[in-house]
Amino acid sequence: MTCNEIKELTVPYLELDLEPSRVRDVTTHLNGCAGCRAEMEAVRQVLVRVKGMAVPDPGDQFWRGFPQRVRREVARQQPSARRTWNVIRAPGWSLAFAASLLLVVGAWSLKGLLDTGPVPSGQSVTQGPNAADLPSLDDADWAPSWEDDPDMVLVEMATQLDRQTMDRLFAGI
Amino acid sequence: MATSDYQLLDRYAAGDESAFEELVMRHQKTVYNLAYRMLENHADAADLAQKTFVQAFLHHRSFKRESSFRTWLYQICLNQCRNALRDRARLVHEDVEELALAAPQDTFTQVARSELRDRLGQAIRTLPARQREALVLRVYHDHAFSEIGVIMSCSEGTAKANYHHAVDKLRRALMAGEG
Repeated sequence: MTCNEIKELTVPYLELDLEPSRVRDVTTHLNGCAGCRAEMEAVRQVLVRVKGMAVPDPGDQFWRGFPQRVRREVARQQPSARRTWNVIRAPGWSLAFAASLLLVVGAWSLKGLLDTGPVPSGQSVTQGPNAADLPSLDDADWAPSWEDDPDMVLVEMATQLDRQTMDRLFAGI
Repeated sequence: MATSDYQLLDRYAAGDESAFEELVMRHQKTVYNLAYRMLENHADAADLAQKTFVQAFLHHRSFKRESSFRTWLYQICLNQCRNALRDRARLVHEDVEELALAAPQDTFTQVARSELRDRLGQAIRTLPARQREALVLRVYHDHAFSEIGVIMSCSEGTAKANYHHAVDKLRRALMAGEG
């Protein structure tokens, strides 16, 4: 091996990142070349010195408080990550969702009336011919969620209606 | 058996706040050390380590788990470091321009003397960011080059090349100082 080749392999040699056969070749060269030995030693010294540069420990108090500081910052920034949801939660959007919901339910009820004619006394509109196919909003237990977050319930209702019935309802209107 | 980072993340996603704390405590020193090696002062390192965890927890759902959580933290931390170093370089440039107009000449002499005291530190400071990252990850965090490649979003060969260039520059700097 030439000295230039050895120079290229100095760091991998010190890092034990060479094939065994290459290691043997480099070692053989080093045994007979004072210049490359000095070069190798200089690089080794660099690594030793770099490794010896310590990071000062900020102390136990810093480490104990660190998770809390992160937690506070996450909590502070979380609302911005949920901005989209907050837009939906804004009063105007809530009203829009509620109005959409009423519109869909109203359209569905109207269709039931048109399909079945006048509703016999004592029979609710939800007992029309398509009623069995339609998901009932009563199927889900909304009450506990409604108390916690009525906006979320409105969105959930609208989503369910949309997913399961909207296409059919609008196809028939 | 110790709980894995993935399990802790799942627990955190399910609302378990103690999992959050455990994850932070498990990795806080490693992340802080990496930040300190890159930025070389406590205030910046502490700030950047905090930002790293905040980003990780705010966006934990986007973590695809194709690497370890620690590797992902390293990636976030190094991205933040690059931004911080870029900002710092801009500020230093502006500061030096102001200083050149305002400061007495001996300020520069003092700065030069203090820099000479730590030639190795200065040489590390002047390494290109990628070379410095490879050096820090290899020497101080004992990562394999394959993992350094993942963290730095480059090939293993590029990671090795960055590391070798860094070591070579440091060697030259030390030899120049001692010669």
